[in-house]
Amino acid sequence: MKEIIKITVALTISCLLAGVVMGSVFIVTAKAKKHNAHLNTQHTMLGLLGYGKNRPAPSGLKLYNIYRYIITESESKYLGYMLPVKKGNSTGYELLVLDLKRQFVSRHSLDILPENTIDPENRKTALKSVLTPLATVSYADTTIVASLNDKRIAYLLPGEFPGFKTFINAMLALDADFKILGLEIMEHEEDPGLGGEIEQEYFKNQFKGKPFEKTKKLKVIKDPLPEEYRKYLEKRKWKKEQFSKEDIAAIQKHYQDKDIYALTGATISSMAVTNGIRNMTKKFAYRIKILDKVIASRNVPVSF
Amino acid sequence: MAETTKTNTQLFINGLLNENPIFRLALSMCPAVGISTTVMNGLLLGIAVIFVQVFSSCTIALIKDYIHPRIRIPTYTLTIATWVTVIDLVLAAYLPVAYKAMGIFVRLIVAFAIITMRLEVFASRNRVITSFWDGMGMGFGFLLGMVILGAIRELMGMGTLLGYDILGFRPLLFFVLPAAGFFLIGFIMAIFNYVEMAYKRKTK
Repeated sequence: MKEIIKITVALTISCLLAGVVMGSVFIVTAKAKKHNAHLNTQHTMLGLLGYGKNRPAPSGLKLYNIYRYIITESESKYLGYMLPVKKGNSTGYELLVLDLKRQFVSRHSLDILPENTIDPENRKTALKSVLTPLATVSYADTTIVASLNDKRIAYLLPGEFPGFKTFINAMLALDADFKILGLEIMEHEEDPGLGGEIEQEYFKNQFKGKPFEKTKKLKVIKDPLPEEYRKYLEKRKWKKEQFSKEDIAAIQKHYQDKDIYALTGATISSMAVTNGIRNMTKKFAYRIKILDKVIASRNVPVSF
Repeated sequence: MAETTKTNTQLFINGLLNENPIFRLALSMCPAVGISTTVMNGLLLGIAVIFVQVFSSCTIALIKDYIHPRIRIPTYTLTIATWVTVIDLVLAAYLPVAYKAMGIFVRLIVAFAIITMRLEVFASRNRVITSFWDGMGMGFGFLLGMVILGAIRELMGMGTLLGYDILGFRPLLFFVLPAAGFFLIGFIMAIFNYVEMAYKRKTK
């Protein structure tokens, strides 16, 4: 008995000590980590739109965040969209509530500054203040609308879908017609060397340029990746003028209606990404069409 | 087993050759087979293992007198997990570039047999300095094994080394698959054994 107590106490103390060490390191590093993650996201978003070191983003480019919430109020569910709207010369936020039949329910002006919307807690407080006290809100997702000189050029969709082991966190860029502009894998825990190859250019760039009609039915094929296509996909390894403009157009045209070539030894990971991207695109296209219809019919002065 | 009588250099060499984690002790075979597909992967995982092994060895050597013998293994696991978490968080916060390349490998390490085994066999019976050198030896031994495997598999499987095209063609895709890892480890193990036997015969 004495032994058991001793063991229990020793184990508890060890766990507590380990907890204290991990906790304090977490507290110390949390801020820098968040900052890095934010920078990384920003960098990725611009990269997906084709801006980078060699091609700085023009000043007319603006990124607007749309937040989607599920609102539950006495057993019925509603969809809540937090939209950036024009308020004189500055930007404000409005909440647009739709019911599950996609019909307009209500509109509320929110008391929140655009730069404060990044923090989920701030958003929640702002939402709570305009809804009835009984309503509960749960966050669903964010969409980023990129507009250049007040014209919508792209949608950026951060999303998560199940991979081979855990969730894969990705960012997808679509143009105004839902053609895929690019895909970036942000975080994953697939096996390095096998499923981990999803973050390599020769896999993720295959999605680039797929039109919406193709994306809807996109699947994985187990054929080997043609050598010419691989060289084209690995943009970072391009030598100067390896591909002329005509070459690029020809290869792009030849492969844009092909399915995704699976990774060697990682068919499940390849399928997971393909299915995830297909579903994300389909659902998003459906949602944004409804949202646009409501925005137009109610004359919401949205910024994007 | 009593305290070791080997010198620090001997301990380091010991980890590299006589008791190489992959080829002699045959531990941590799962990552060795699964991840050693390219030199880069092997290198990054090796570096991650060196850090975790050295830190955990030193910690256990420091607190060995306070560990209840009945809960040795949970304590080792806890130590490794703590160090893995700390390294993961620090990398993410202050070295985002390194984190992007290594983050995924660091998180894998919690379940590595080689680290737990070294803590049990060595660090829990020796002083901090010797444990440090043993940890270094084991870590570098693992790195060496991973790089050898990675180099052969990358060259044979994809015709490249560190991503640079060497051969210009892909000899045998088979080498990229996990099964090839087993074959290769078997062959290299045989070479290690043969060298040892030859060496013993000579010294006799």
